Amino acid sequence: MTERRRDGVLREAEMGPVVPSAERLARGPVVIVECVENIPCNPCVAACPKGAIAIRGDINDTPVVDFETCDGCRVCISACPGLAIFAVDATGDPALVSIPYEFRPLPETGEIVTTLDREGAESGEGKVVRVLSAKALDRTPIVTIEVPKNLAMRVRHFRRKPDRGGTS
Amino acid sequence: MKEDVVICRCEDITYGEIVDAVRGGLTTTEEIKRILRCGMGPCQGRTCSRLIVRIISQETGVPVAEVRFPVVRPPSRPVEIGVMAAGGPPDGNPSGGEYDAD
Amino acid sequence: MRIREHPILEFERGREVEFDFDGRRLCGHEGETIAAALHASGVRVLRKSIRHGRPRGFFCAIGRCSSCLMTVDGVPNVMTCVTPLRRGMKVETQTGKGTLAAEAKGAGSIAGDGSGSDLGTVPLAIVGAGPAGLSAAVYAGRLGVESVVVDENEVPGGQLIKQTHMFFGSLEHYARVRGVDIGTQLCRELEKCPSKLLTGTTVLGLYTDDPPWKTLSLMKNGVRGELRARTVVLATGASENMLAFENCDLPGVYGAGAVQTLMNVYGVAPGERVLMVGAGNIGLIVGYQLLQAAVDVAAVIDAMDEIGGYHVHAAKIRRMGVPILTSHTILSAGGTDRVERATISRVDSDWQPVEGTERTIDVDTICLAVGLTPNCELASMAGCDDEYVPELGGLVSAHDADLETSVPGVFIAGDASGIEEASTAMLEGRLAGLAAVERLEVEVDREKLLAMKEEAASGLSELRAGPFGDRPRLGKERMLALAASRGGDR
Ligand SMILES: Cc1cc2nc3c(=O)[nH]c(=O)nc-3n(C[C@H](O)[C@H](O)[C@H](O)COP(=O)(O)OP(=O)(O)OC[C@H]3O[C@@H](n4cnc5c(N)ncnc54)[C@H](O)[C@@H]3O)c2cc1C
Ligand code: FES
Repeated sequence: MTERRRDGVLREAEMGPVVPSAERLARGPVVIVECVENIPCNPCVAACPKGAIAIRGDINDTPVVDFETCDGCRVCISACPGLAIFAVDATGDPALVSIPYEFRPLPETGEIVTTLDREGAESGEGKVVRVLSAKALDRTPIVTIEVPKNLAMRVRHFRRKPDRGGTS
Repeated sequence: MKEDVVICRCEDITYGEIVDAVRGGLTTTEEIKRILRCGMGPCQGRTCSRLIVRIISQETGVPVAEVRFPVVRPPSRPVEIGVMAAGGPPDGNPSGGEYDAD
Repeated sequence: MRIREHPILEFERGREVEFDFDGRRLCGHEGETIAAALHASGVRVLRKSIRHGRPRGFFCAIGRCSSCLMTVDGVPNVMTCVTPLRRGMKVETQTGKGTLAAEAKGAGSIAGDGSGSDLGTVPLAIVGAGPAGLSAAVYAGRLGVESVVVDENEVPGGQLIKQTHMFFGSLEHYARVRGVDIGTQLCRELEKCPSKLLTGTTVLGLYTDDPPWKTLSLMKNGVRGELRARTVVLATGASENMLAFENCDLPGVYGAGAVQTLMNVYGVAPGERVLMVGAGNIGLIVGYQLLQAAVDVAAVIDAMDEIGGYHVHAAKIRRMGVPILTSHTILSAGGTDRVERATISRVDSDWQPVEGTERTIDVDTICLAVGLTPNCELASMAGCDDEYVPELGGLVSAHDADLETSVPGVFIAGDASGIEEASTAMLEGRLAGLAAVERLEVEVDREKLLAMKEEAASGLSELRAGPFGDRPRLGKERMLALAASRGGDR
């Protein structure tokens, strides 16, 4: 049994196929689909306008991203019922991480937030650069934050600072 | 488990009382229901039946799958006696279920 | 404790009304339940237990467990978790059993059209308006077969009305749609069908002593009625399992469904800080929903050595800092008349607490998500055989591949026929509805009927093909083998 089944934290060892190469990451934005279990689910496939996500066998297979076709457009993020899709743009430093965020109140652009990793541990600060909450996202807004490039593959959530009156 | 843990909420029957009953020879849910009244309250055993079956199994060594659950009788929900009286159930059994409303 | 801003839901609350609680004047919203209004005002103790005088709050919040009985306007034993609040009500903490005024009710009519208590006959009656029941009605309806769907809840949708998250599954079967919205969509489909929906109506009994007729005994607002049907689909869902531990009856120990009802139906936060017991999908999802309602989740614990639910659900709460402690159990709840703390400990591989690993955490709510048991009481009353199949959730009515029970013309579908998912419940409901139509021997396009059945059956196998489908698949296989070995002559 993997440690993940025991504590719910995805570790690098299991992330092989999920993560694009360093070269690809440096070339442009891309999505990271952190969906590693065989569960019956497929909306991400249809959500991608480029056809970059495939589920090869039956509906229980894990999605595979064609990193050459994916341009990190983020349309799939709000389509994932597991909120397991993130987008990373590591072409510069700071890098940009886009996160599905179903909490209220939403952060504001320019706000400094505390960034959290997959275990919920604080990993530093990030600046909110975009908040998408269009109707088409069906109540799963996407928040993009600037984080140090070396944390781009670690930051997966954030907490609003208490003095902003937010809750999470 | 502690003796005084409440297993049947409706009739306020504890773990200790059920264990004593099983050790005293009441090894089916029907017997326990008749003597201790668990399963006869307004919830009709919905909350406690599974727990009681587990206790019987643990005390007697009979696998859970073989301990019979109590027999289900209408009505499936508590009904006021007045409502029962106002219109008899189709099978003509005016008292219907075992929920007594005293 | 009312949730003011929610990322998914908007609460439509009725007008504010005053009511009386043990001589105190409190405010609530018309239409919400008495228990919800009391909870929103911080009242957790609703009654004193009958023998030991122990404080009790609500537990199931859907009228099943009797924990919430109070005296309302002088009438004792009122289930306050399902009774709507009205202005000026006099609500009292009940001590003991209460004495019942045996006043006869019985005015009005169930169908709401003055037809009296005899609702006549119908080819197909469906009990439960969850995903399974609604699908059964919709698919029978597509073949032109009339049905009546009965649900005790005022709002149709079953479990779906509390699910704020997007569902998994395939796009053709509502994946990525939020549970609440699936319910609404199914109801819209139903409107196009020759089907009648009776909400707020409980099925008290099912009698099959006059074949081929099945008689359903119904009750709405204290008025009783009778409906006769040629075929019946039982889609009654499941009930939550209870867990026994010290002080497990203390107010503040709630079932996960109760927490969802309070939070997602009435917009009342169950507490400030919650311990979730159970790391299956329900525990993980309700944990996340609590965070969405701005309630703190201290931890999610599970006695198993691994997380039972999907990783993605676990990951959502982990990254918000909620620990998931597998191989842990709850030993006790602490507090005088409400939960103030919980003591947990590690368990060994035999699920026995490991001494010296006890830990006490401050929480005001303990939420139990420790499994479901299929509701097959009506089937039992009708004389359907049952089988104990642990993979399906315990005692389940025996059924064949068409979901027909041992009583011809009585079908069982959805969680009632084995605990699974809404996606499978919809397909099972569909299959049962179609099989019922087949049983009816009415004039229908047979080829179309068989094709539709085949589609539903293959959809079910596909959904059960993954590792998480192992359990129900094995359960269903065992059930089919058991049913076949029993009733070879059918
Ligand atoms: C927290 C949580 C999260 C979930 N997430 C998912 C998910 O992501 N994807 C998924 O596919 N599934 C999910 N499920 C499971 C899904 O909700 C259930 O499997 C599904 O609702 C079962 O449908 P059903 O129609 O069999 O029963 P239900 O939805 O339970 O409906 C049964 C109905 O029958 C009525 N009823 C029962 N007895 C009577 C009676 N005697 N008289 C009248 N009416 C009666 C009840 O009022 C109820 O409305 C989740 C469940 C929970 C609790
Ligand atoms: S019956 Fe009301 S809480 Fe269970």
